[in-house]
Amino acid sequence: MTSAATLVNDVSVQRSTSAAIRQTLALAKRSTLELFRQPALVVPSIVFPLFFSFLGNSSFGKTTSLPGFPKVNSYLQFQLAGTITQGVLFGSVTGAAALATDIENGFFDRLLASPTSRLSILFGRLAGSVLFGALETAIFVLVLLPFGADVSAGVPGIIAMIISGALIALAVGALMASVALKTGSSEAVQGTFPLLFILLFFSSAFFPRETMVGTYKTIAGLNPISHLVEGLRALSLEGFSISATARAILVPMAIAVVALYIASRQLNARLRAN
Amino acid sequence: MSTNAKTILSTRDMHSTTMRSSWQLVKRGLINTRRLPSAFIPTLAMPIFNMLSFSGTFFALTKLPGFPTDRSVNWFMPLGLAMGAAFSGVGLGFSLIRDLENGFYDRLRMSPTSRSSLIVGPILATWIRVTLVTLFVFGAGTLLGARPTAGVMSYVCSWIAAIGISTIGAGWGLGLAYRFQDMRGAAIMQMSIFLTMFLSTAQVPLYVMTGWLHTVARINPITNIFRLSRSGWVNADDPGYMSWSNIYGGLIAIVALSALTLIFALRSLQKMDK
Repeated sequence: MTSAATLVNDVSVQRSTSAAIRQTLALAKRSTLELFRQPALVVPSIVFPLFFSFLGNSSFGKTTSLPGFPKVNSYLQFQLAGTITQGVLFGSVTGAAALATDIENGFFDRLLASPTSRLSILFGRLAGSVLFGALETAIFVLVLLPFGADVSAGVPGIIAMIISGALIALAVGALMASVALKTGSSEAVQGTFPLLFILLFFSSAFFPRETMVGTYKTIAGLNPISHLVEGLRALSLEGFSISATARAILVPMAIAVVALYIASRQLNARLRAN
Repeated sequence: MSTNAKTILSTRDMHSTTMRSSWQLVKRGLINTRRLPSAFIPTLAMPIFNMLSFSGTFFALTKLPGFPTDRSVNWFMPLGLAMGAAFSGVGLGFSLIRDLENGFYDRLRMSPTSRSSLIVGPILATWIRVTLVTLFVFGAGTLLGARPTAGVMSYVCSWIAAIGISTIGAGWGLGLAYRFQDMRGAAIMQMSIFLTMFLSTAQVPLYVMTGWLHTVARINPITNIFRLSRSGWVNADDPGYMSWSNIYGGLIAIVALSALTLIFALRSLQKMDK
């Protein structure tokens, strides 16, 4: 009898797991289509980083010979990692703002009223950001490559960069989703944009840490964005190696784990409040 | 009373009405600044953040041979100031859109006041706000290590440049707001001002630039305004140091661009009235 009960339990667990996966996929499809159906929301996060790359290449092209600057073919090669991070950061804000909009317009409540797995609501939403992050990374690499943004690690490096871009999107998307779940306001999520902007500028996204001095260098060293960028940059500049790949993937993965934990806690808090 | 006398009287009346109405709109603008500090604080914080982050990130630029100054904050303070002034100017367009949307502007248009006062008044209020921003930026810049190289004239030239840029931004912002009459205009205002600024010597001097940007920046009139703004902050032996030949180009650019954008604003208002 005990064995029969265990079997029934196992079957129901399997059913609920497969249902949760199906629900996550359905919600992921929704969030992805939502992003692509509103090009006005996502195009700026691709166009602006590209504009800044070309602007930077013409502005700072002569600075690559300065002491402390790593050996590069062009400033664009150095800048590639910063461009990817910048684009993915801004794209992730859009995804989280969409979650907040779901809360504002009541769609989130309807999901809660349905027999949907709670975590699939969060993961379904983040899946859209992850896919968009990977796509953005591929676009940046492909567009900048012919202009001198070589990836020393070759095709395996580009694949690792795309995975890294997706993980950065997951990490930042989860952090922004926490803000959306906490506040339930798309305005509040958009309001965090300047904070990301500040973090980006106080990092090594645009210039190497080795060329900075004093307090600014210390801040850039403590800034997690610097470590995200430098992991990607290692693939771009140093070639394919275990250590470069590990830096590019493990750093955003570690941040993503922490961010997902925070986001799931915020989700639970919202569920309790509901 | 002859017809001539009547004409003179009505012209005088007209001027006095314009001045009175303008003054009332200046007062409204300043009261709004005091009552809604949340709208003014970003204008104040942005140039300071800009100066701080750029002078820290791109500190190594000063090590380039022939760079106009050995203090990065001396180079980037005028950029911060210009950005703050430009956004104060286009911010006028945002408030106009709000007034158009909530119907306040229709009441202004129905009142027996001259049309030019609807432009002159808010611009005068913007000048006062930009002067406040300039004082704060000078204070923060001094704390960060900015030192003038041409005494009081260093501050005067930067202030004139800031007032000029805010007038250009205001004319452009008002014109677009009258044309679009909704928030679609806001994105174009911000983006166009942002691009025009960065396609000049905003970040680096002309001789450091390479490729297409060098050509664009050389013909961009904003480059002349930056030369005026920085003339008192570069080394005394630099070719860009304070002299009439480094100042008049900036003054001409301010007058010409202000005239063009203000005519655009006035024409757009007249078109809206029709």
